[in-house]
Amino acid sequence: MPNILGSLAGWGVNVAIAMTALRTNLMRSILTTLGVMIGVFSVILAVAVGNGAQVSVTQQIATLGSNMAIVVPQPDSGSGPPRPTDRGRLTERDGRAILRQVSGVSAVAPQIRSSVQLVAPGRSATTQATGATPEYGVVSNVTASEGRFLTEGDVSAAARVVVIGQTVSDKLFADANPVGETVRINRVPFTVIGLLESKGSNLGNDNDDQIVVPITTLRQRLLTTATQGPDDVTLLFVGFDDEEALLAGQVEIKRLLRDRYRVPKGRINPFTVRTTTEIAETTGQVTQIFQAVLVAIASISLLVGGIGIMNIMLVSVTERTREIGLRMALGAKRSDIRNQFLVEAAVLCVIGGAIGLILAMVAAAIFQQLADFPAPIGIDTALMAVAFSAVIGLVFGGYPAIRASRLSPIEALRSE
Amino acid sequence: MTIPLLETHDLVKDYEIGGEVVHACNHVSLSIARGEFVAIMGASGSGKSTFMNMIGCLDVPSSGTLLLDGVDTKTLDSDALAEIRNRKIGFVFQQFNLLARTSALDNVAVPLIYAGLGYAERRERAKAKLEEMGLGNRLENTPAKLSGGQQQRVAIARALVTGPLMLLADEPTGALDTQTSLDIMGIFQKLNDDGITLVVVTHEPDIAEYAARRVVFRDGKVIEDAAVKSRRRATAHA
Ligand SMILES: Nc1ncnc2c1ncn2[C@@H]1O[C@H](COP(=O)(O)OP(=O)(O)OP(=O)(O)O)[C@@H](O)[C@H]1O
Ligand SMILES: [Mg+2]
Repeated sequence: MPNILGSLAGWGVNVAIAMTALRTNLMRSILTTLGVMIGVFSVILAVAVGNGAQVSVTQQIATLGSNMAIVVPQPDSGSGPPRPTDRGRLTERDGRAILRQVSGVSAVAPQIRSSVQLVAPGRSATTQATGATPEYGVVSNVTASEGRFLTEGDVSAAARVVVIGQTVSDKLFADANPVGETVRINRVPFTVIGLLESKGSNLGNDNDDQIVVPITTLRQRLLTTATQGPDDVTLLFVGFDDEEALLAGQVEIKRLLRDRYRVPKGRINPFTVRTTTEIAETTGQVTQIFQAVLVAIASISLLVGGIGIMNIMLVSVTERTREIGLRMALGAKRSDIRNQFLVEAAVLCVIGGAIGLILAMVAAAIFQQLADFPAPIGIDTALMAVAFSAVIGLVFGGYPAIRASRLSPIEALRSE
Repeated sequence: MTIPLLETHDLVKDYEIGGEVVHACNHVSLSIARGEFVAIMGASGSGKSTFMNMIGCLDVPSSGTLLLDGVDTKTLDSDALAEIRNRKIGFVFQQFNLLARTSALDNVAVPLIYAGLGYAERRERAKAKLEEMGLGNRLENTPAKLSGGQQQRVAIARALVTGPLMLLADEPTGALDTQTSLDIMGIFQKLNDDGITLVVVTHEPDIAEYAARRVVFRDGKVIEDAAVKSRRRATAHA
């Protein structure tokens, strides 16, 4: 027990000695701390931004819906120059075939996507229109928060009705309730029947900047490109009962479509089938790599800060060789000298790390405000910052400290 | 027969400079008993400091034996040697070697840090020693604000604060004027009267006459070792 108290008192003394030494060279200490501060600051911020990206991506994927396969036609660019007929095709009939023949499919939502111009009295907006069926609402989790979503009746009648996103509503109708209003889409008058439930925005992508109209209406009244066949769609969303069905279904869809389009063996598919699970996995990997790269780059500045610490500690040891000799003559053990310099380095690092952490938290908050991007700094990140600075102190202060402790008392005392 | 406080047998320290070996200390066998006051003299380069550094456990002999209080220092590791320097030996240097920008009190307290004492007790003891040295009104002064004599007294207080058996002083008066030097020797004599063993290196024959025994070095060897005949007494310490 007295031993522990004694060693604690010893560390206290070392902190006092370190503070005195650091105050003596105040400017130098501040500049050295600055290096660690910037290093910790950038590492913490990099981690926070990486975390934020991960959160955003996860949210973005969640807005797609779950247990869903997305089928997109893909031109076969594998052989020779591209021709118009190379363009992969996908039709509503393919969708119906998938619903009928692939097991575990709960719904198929054919869609045509097109950019459109909207005009309301006195205002206008450009946005993405999705021509869809009621299944779209089921498969990708889209509902109307005001009014109603599309019905079979809207589709079969090719009704001029539109469900608009919150952002579009804000642009065209400001704060007023848009339901029942008339908008001109590519000069064709439509009645707003509903407001899409808000899905927010992620990574600068505004999920509420879109409108949904019946697929039939879009095809007949809004499409300008004549290259598409009467039954063509831009993509299909295929909803499955569960994840197991999704995995099996992905393969079945490919086989079915190859059959339907008589794709010869050895040719690649003129379409892609991606599942939400896959998308979540790959984007998760991408953001992890993104975060790793960020942290790696930031670590370089921490490394530079650490080298700064080592440099200053070596200077400090050299400058104070005589003092080291004197302390040894007065009874300091090697461990006492080593600890003295370790504590000095640690104090520099911990102060730098603490300030760096605080600055990173401030920066993250500002970032969040300005860029609408989450950059969470959790307890774990804060602890990591403290651990980081301590490790930097031990690693980069360790060598100079051990060097100082290895000096022979008389050689140290004689030095000038 | 009691064990001498310090005993050397064939103590050797060689330095190699440019391929040539210098015998800075050349087979010195010497014995110093408790309570002795020894002056070491000799021309510059005769090996006085080399000898002092070895008996103070600051330097390691090339060969030979050094017994401190009967213990062979060869058997001790660096921590044990540090403890001997801390508890048994006090050093006084020609250039005082005080920590700059550090108060007299904190300077004197440094050895007590390594003795493992707490803050309050360190201050207490350091204060008492400084008062003994007549510096009770200078506790918070930094070395820059003290005269040479005062600085050397701070250094002596620091050497004494752990209650050592022996004080080693390498030219303690070398940087001081005559009167101040005599004051310091007065302090040493009083300490010796109180039972502390003293080994003092000096160039000045007058100063050496305050000691009880005189050892003269030449070329790393002891050439003379005798009691001081007409010993001087300093009247008091300032
Ligand atoms: N670190 C060293 N490296 C090489 N030679 C040394 C070293 N220290 C001392 N010497 C040599 O050893 C010899 C004795 O030196 P020492 O310092 O012991 O003499 P001294 O009697 O104390 O002299 P002074 O009265 O000038 O202080 C000298 O020749 C000196 O050059
Ligand atoms: Mg000398």
